[in-house]
Amino acid sequence: MKLRLSPQTLLVLEAFLDQPEDWKYGYDLSRITGLKSGTLYPILMRVAEHKLLETRWEQSEPGKPPRHMYRFTAEGLRFARTQLTSQSVGKLGEEALGRMEA
Amino acid sequence: MGAPRRLAERLLRVMVSLAPSGSRDWAQAMLGELDFIRGDWAALFWALGSAAAICRHAASAWRTLLKQRKAHEEVRMNNTGKKALGVGIGVLSALMLVGCAFAILRITDLMFPGLGIAHAEWTHWLAAIVVPEAILIAAAVVLWRKKGPVAAGILTIGLMIGLHLAVHLAMR
Repeated sequence: MKLRLSPQTLLVLEAFLDQPEDWKYGYDLSRITGLKSGTLYPILMRVAEHKLLETRWEQSEPGKPPRHMYRFTAEGLRFARTQLTSQSVGKLGEEALGRMEA
Repeated sequence: MGAPRRLAERLLRVMVSLAPSGSRDWAQAMLGELDFIRGDWAALFWALGSAAAICRHAASAWRTLLKQRKAHEEVRMNNTGKKALGVGIGVLSALMLVGCAFAILRITDLMFPGLGIAHAEWTHWLAAIVVPEAILIAAAVVLWRKKGPVAAGILTIGLMIGLHLAVHLAMR
């Protein structure tokens, strides 16, 4: 799968992995990850284009516009778990190597 | 509602209306979130970031479309080029064959002047018309399926020789 895994993308994947069955809003994701809309949405678009995210509209409160919500597809969940595990293993390896060199 | 929020909302509405179909849902999503953002300036910054994201997404969609179109165009041009080259090769091969036939006739006449080939009309007919024409038609039939353009080039020269013959006969 050709999905560029920048640190920001990993942050977003991590945010989705926290209670993955829950639907999440764009603004909430922005607050959780600390990413601005200009960074967050291109990542969401890319992840959704790879069919790792499912989206839906929700009429939240009367008088307010519907909100777009996101959550992992089964494939997305598998992908995120694999990627984040390999990233953390890599990080642990680098730390261990750093300690050995020191 | 403060001025920055009004501006933010207006900007995102414009983006929704201008966004290509592939990005419109996302633009609408960004606009929808605006009402849940506390603070007018935060809303404005949200809208600015969102507008940039929509522009980038639309630009990337356009780039992909242009690349696809360009690739398609290149394939088409390559095919046309290959066909033209095939026809050219066919024409050139046929002309070389006819040239060789003439050369053989001329050399034979020079080497054996006693045969009187230069004065015998049937030798010209045979060497310059009948034999090359038969070879050209046979080659065109054999090549037609596998190398259509080359066969077409050969056949063109064959037809031209045939036409030349018809004009020649009509004039006489």
